Amino acid sequence: MDKNMLAGLEGLPEEDKNRMSAMIDHLQLRDSLRMYNSLVERCFNDCVDNFTRKTLQKQEETCVARCAEKFLKHSMRVGLRFAELNSQAATQD
Amino acid sequence: MAANIPAGIDKEQAFGMAETEMEYRVELFNRLAQTCFNKCVDKRYKEAELNMGENSCIDRCVSKYWQVNSMIGQMLSAGGRPPM
Repeated sequence: MDKNMLAGLEGLPEEDKNRMSAMIDHLQLRDSLRMYNSLVERCFNDCVDNFTRKTLQKQEETCVARCAEKFLKHSMRVGLRFAELNSQAATQD
Repeated sequence: MAANIPAGIDKEQAFGMAETEMEYRVELFNRLAQTCFNKCVDKRYKEAELNMGENSCIDRCVSKYWQVNSMIGQMLSAGGRPPM
């Protein structure tokens, strides 16, 4: 989700545009924090099973790094497809 | 969407609707991303890149999820609530 959504708001008065923009910023911030939390939980669940030590082992660290990078790349790809489908749907309305 | 505000709705309601719509889209995106990751990506994380198979799977998964989303949207708006 990004300010491309503002493209639909051209005709609105300045204060309404600002309000929408603030709304989008707020939603983006909230979404980023949620993503952070869910990514941590996911990679922890997928990569960490061993509690004989209290520090992460090398293999667990590697796994977490790959997990996070993979999910972020996945998320970007999904974002592209989502935007395509969204704009297709919009032109059909 | 901003152009389609029905008559008789005041500005506050319109903002409320816009906010709800945006939250819905964010939620849809997040659920879609989680679901397709679970279905398409090998949890062993042998590497940091997505391989070709995973990429194709993701594209198809997103497409199908979207179709299901549309189907259900239509069913809900046509039939209203299912009988209890």
